[in-house]
Amino acid sequence: MNVLLDCRGLTVRFGGLTALNGLDLTLKHGETLGLIGPNGSGKTTFFNALTGLYRLVAGRVRFGGREMTGASPQDLYDAGIARTFQRSRLCLTLSVFDNLMIGNHRRLSRGLAFNLLRRRAFEQELREHQARSRMLLETFHPSLPDRLYDPAGELGMIDRRRVEVCRALIGEPRLLLLDEPSAGMTHEETHELMEDILATRARQPGLSIILIEHEMGVIERVSDRCAVLNFGEKICEGSYASVVADARVQEAYLGSE
Amino acid sequence: MDAGLLGQYIFNGLMLGIIYAMVAVGFTLFFGVLDVIKFSHGDVLTVGAFVGLATYHGLDALGVTSAPVLALSLTLAAMLAMGALGALMARWIVLPLRNAPAINVLLITLMAGTVLRELIRLFYPAGANPKPFPRLLPTDSLTMGSFTLRLDNVILLSVGAAAIVGVHLLITRSRLGLAIRAAAQDSETARIMGINFQMVVLVTFALGSALAALAGVTAGLYYSEINFGMGLLLGVIGFSAAVVGGLGNLYGAVLGGFLFAALQTLGAVWFSVPAYKDVFAFALVILIMAWRPTGLIAEKTAERV
Amino acid sequence: MRKIFRPAPVWPALLLLPLLGGYGYVFLHAEAQWQVAILALAGVAAILAAGSRRVGAALDRSWRAAPSLLGWLAFVVAAALIYVLREDHFALLMVATVLLYALVCLGLNVQFGYAGVLNFAGAAFFGIGGYTAAVLAAHTALPHLVILASAGLLSGVVGSLLVLPLLRTRGHYAALITIAFAILFRTFLEVNDLLGGPQGLKVPGLAILGWSFNDSIVVDADTEFSFYVAYAGFSLVLFTIGLILVWRLERSWLGLSLDAVRIDETAASVFGFQVARWKILAFSLGNVLAGVAGAVYGMMTGFVAPASFTLAESLIFVSIVILGGLGNPAAVLPATVLVVVLPEKLQFIQEYRYLLFSAIVILILLFKPAGLLPRSLRRYFPSWGKA
Repeated sequence: MNVLLDCRGLTVRFGGLTALNGLDLTLKHGETLGLIGPNGSGKTTFFNALTGLYRLVAGRVRFGGREMTGASPQDLYDAGIARTFQRSRLCLTLSVFDNLMIGNHRRLSRGLAFNLLRRRAFEQELREHQARSRMLLETFHPSLPDRLYDPAGELGMIDRRRVEVCRALIGEPRLLLLDEPSAGMTHEETHELMEDILATRARQPGLSIILIEHEMGVIERVSDRCAVLNFGEKICEGSYASVVADARVQEAYLGSE
Repeated sequence: MDAGLLGQYIFNGLMLGIIYAMVAVGFTLFFGVLDVIKFSHGDVLTVGAFVGLATYHGLDALGVTSAPVLALSLTLAAMLAMGALGALMARWIVLPLRNAPAINVLLITLMAGTVLRELIRLFYPAGANPKPFPRLLPTDSLTMGSFTLRLDNVILLSVGAAAIVGVHLLITRSRLGLAIRAAAQDSETARIMGINFQMVVLVTFALGSALAALAGVTAGLYYSEINFGMGLLLGVIGFSAAVVGGLGNLYGAVLGGFLFAALQTLGAVWFSVPAYKDVFAFALVILIMAWRPTGLIAEKTAERV
Repeated sequence: MRKIFRPAPVWPALLLLPLLGGYGYVFLHAEAQWQVAILALAGVAAILAAGSRRVGAALDRSWRAAPSLLGWLAFVVAAALIYVLREDHFALLMVATVLLYALVCLGLNVQFGYAGVLNFAGAAFFGIGGYTAAVLAAHTALPHLVILASAGLLSGVVGSLLVLPLLRTRGHYAALITIAFAILFRTFLEVNDLLGGPQGLKVPGLAILGWSFNDSIVVDADTEFSFYVAYAGFSLVLFTIGLILVWRLERSWLGLSLDAVRIDETAASVFGFQVARWKILAFSLGNVLAGVAGAVYGMMTGFVAPASFTLAESLIFVSIVILGGLGNPAAVLPATVLVVVLPEKLQFIQEYRYLLFSAIVILILLFKPAGLLPRSLRRYFPSWGKA
């Protein structure tokens, strides 16, 4: 059994609107799944449900062999799920380092006495995380470690996106959810970011990724498997080639003639 | 307790409830259209009451003696003036902070309320003292046992109810209401669809503030006295009522207003010290908030992530 | 490209500290209204300059060159000011009041500068401290240091009970509940005969280790220090402890957590932060500081009464924090000096101070929301970051 994530019949409703309707989805260790579908098809809703932000009306979630249905966002983070957001949610007024440490939350010593009184021990821990942050940023771009102390708001679009991915990665999650990392970026930037993600995956073979993306080239390049959503339901699943050839998928994107 | 006394309590509770509901409807309107809490709302009510009083004195000095004319004109003057003030505050204080953290809007409106309150206290003639408010409505009464139904209170209650129903009709039936609801749903899309968002916001704030002025005049006529701090507690109560009912929901605001009045009335029956009725009502309201965090009638089921 | 590390000169900060001490002395002794007005304007100009990018950065670098030396020097300068004023009751009362108010504002700064929890009842928590001291000192034989601690603790506990529903509610709950509390607290005190009703209670003077603060310090037959010297000195120690505490809080994972929770609750919860717990922690901590300050203030002035702990007074505390700069603990002191001392020295302001400071806060929020001395990026240690 090397299934990491097993979702059965996930259903989310807002008032009368069913945003996610009985979604079944499984993911293996180390697998990258491309999640595609038209706008409003429920992709981000799925992420929000999976990270505990939305309540499930029905369905269950098993993650890493544990029952996680209805778990809080905090429990899901502790279990090893990390994500990025479609619209960047970096804390722009905080430094890049601080933003990374937010993603690193699980490793920080949070005791009052440790933080307020034991400044030596705190400094030692701080320096360790500083070194780790530099290393992680370095793998994304050689110029990034130099920006560790700059406010995140002073970074360009692509660097923000990189930092956001780093923030999700630094806590060493088991499952990484990437919500349209190419949104708002140029073709070249998207390409660069994809290479970064591929490199990351190569270094962490156990890491599983679910990627929401509209750029089909990205999906083709990165994913092992694809799932297509429409109106909150999974209409098709399989290899990239089989999915794009599927008549239902073409209908969902182009509308029926 | 005999039936008459019970009836009296219920009627007084309804009177309080209609005042609270009018204030709460304002909070809920502002929140609906702009996602902000305007903490100066209670003080706008106070200023409205004082504008009403000043209008009365002005007309009185001009020799107007007809009570209905006085009552009507002081109410209209208060509502018009506060409508204008509400729009001005929205334009110069609330809208500029649209992209600032929500806490800044709370702070700035609270401080604006303090400015209004202090302006009355310092610059209205003898503004620091309570002011008698004229009794302009017919006080004929109907007595049944220990229950007294006064005509002026019936009028106030009906006018308040009519105003709330009017706002409701305006929101649900008119083109303006459609624009307000569109802006409340999704301001971005509303703007793309050609709705003048700023105008909608100004009109909404004017509407809510005029309603607050009506509540202020109603309170003045009901208690026959107003003071510079009256809006403070009324504002907090109206806000609690709107939150308990479900911010952004008109029915919720009305329900919350009457609920708070009911709790206060119960508190007044049980506690000999009058101040404790407020403590009692707030304590229960807090419990309800903890029980139903999104309010009794929840409008927004999930925030946009 | 890396900048080459160049040690910054210490002298600007070194020079500034005695200047500040001198300014404080002159300001507190200025009699004529025009002198006070000119000094106040000069003070505001100096604060604005220090808050500007260039001067601020230079001072900051200078401070980082020798932080502990300069820190001690600042303390010594403040102590020296108290010593110089030793026979001036009024000036010392002002100094102690400023320090205690500043302590409250340090707490508020943690609450809404870091955690984003509004507290419109600062004066009420200050009052809880004062009333606790009054009751405990009059009716028990507890050592006064224990009483101060209890005052802080009670204030913190009441605060956390009030915002406990934050665990389930979001958004504007804290603002609503603290404003209701601020209004009802006074009403509650006024109708409560056990707590003295509208007249309030008398509070015995502070006594620590057998040393009664209310006795003047007699040096010899001719020299006698005002008893406020002891209170001012003690307040200075308390404020210093509070400042170090808040500084360390900000420069640790705790400060980072509070920032994360304030800036984006949703993102914070996705990264495992227990949003409500952090908010309640920050709220309680802030109220502990307010409670301790209130207890000392009550013991110093000798009485507590409901009229001192109104919503309007709470808003004065809020004004100080906004004026100084949200999230900048060092900004609290100059802002407190402006807001507390100015109306005392400029009599014609006294009546209009609520109006004046509310209007100033509106202007600040509209045009300079970061305050006069904006908070800078978190620096965990003086050597942190680029040179």
